[in-house]
Amino acid sequence: MSKSRVDLVRRSDGSLVEATLVDGVEPSDLIVVERAWTIVRARLIGRLRAASVPRKEWPESWHWNWERKAPELAQLAASGFGILSDEDWQGLMLIKTAPYVARIEADRGKPLVYVDYLEVAPWNWRIPALGEEGRYKGVGSILFREAAKLSLEEGFHGRVGLHALPQAEAFYESACGMTALGRDPRKQDLVYFEFSREQAQKFLEKGGD
Amino acid sequence: MTTKMKSNSRASEAWLRRMADAEDRCKSVAVGGLAHELGLIRPGAPEGPRVFGRLIEFARRARGLSVEKLAEEADVDLAELVALERDEDVAPTPRTVYQLATVLQLDTGKLMVLAGLADVEDPALNQAALKFAARSEPTARLSKAEREAFDEFVKVLVERSDGA
Repeated sequence: MSKSRVDLVRRSDGSLVEATLVDGVEPSDLIVVERAWTIVRARLIGRLRAASVPRKEWPESWHWNWERKAPELAQLAASGFGILSDEDWQGLMLIKTAPYVARIEADRGKPLVYVDYLEVAPWNWRIPALGEEGRYKGVGSILFREAAKLSLEEGFHGRVGLHALPQAEAFYESACGMTALGRDPRKQDLVYFEFSREQAQKFLEKGGD
Repeated sequence: MTTKMKSNSRASEAWLRRMADAEDRCKSVAVGGLAHELGLIRPGAPEGPRVFGRLIEFARRARGLSVEKLAEEADVDLAELVALERDEDVAPTPRTVYQLATVLQLDTGKLMVLAGLADVEDPALNQAALKFAARSEPTARLSKAEREAFDEFVKVLVERSDGA
């Protein structure tokens, strides 16, 4: 396990808050995460339901259970990243370095870092319908940045692939600058996104958008 | 296990603020699977959630279980269970419903409907749920009338579970 300092942006006043990036999240951490996130998620969903917000507008990850993803961490090619602040996990990401390969024509068949799961803590969700602004922003970007950096460290030249939930498509395509390679019938028809070397480099240097 | 502090390249403030603002312009950053993977997420039953908490409470009390004990046996979060029983506008997760159904020996599919996680056109179930809600009061022990209401409701849940 290794730790490093990162910053997050506090939504209430725009200030930078120092946090800890953990490379090497353990299965026991996922249990802690699930215990802390479950009730917050449930309360938010209850409020969305009470406010008659259509279900398609609910955060699409509301049903996830990180504890159930613990066995995946046992895989050799898998690893978990998380961000700790205020003694709480602010976001998590599980990645795999095999057996996924690039689909972009120029790099087809070459290894990449595949982002299996990425989610921010429910208290960081911005839900305008409930007047919820969320505590921190930038959590998802910092986590995703680690995936691109790991790809460089692994000699994958920044190649990263992922299947985004529909509500997150704009983030990965517009904000991060990934290439959308169409819906994937093998993965719930979710859109598959991939970074080419150049796109990853640009993202790491300047951000997308 | 050793923990080391990495001296990696930290994102610049400009990069972070640019990306953080971009996050806010998008609805989500989530990567993973959709709820419909579970086959559960369809338009919800309007009467379900309120009845769900009451039913769980009655089923628990009928078995002489404390809230803590039920949470432990079902391996669900205690705070979530308390909130569910108190009807604090909390939506149970599919996992919680499944775990509670298993421990309380109730039909999972019907509980999903009551929890608002699945939609099944079932007038008899809706009727039984309304009747149960009207006749039950959250007191420490089940009265004879409550017991009858609970038994009647459970009977509908069990009777109709095969064909739903």
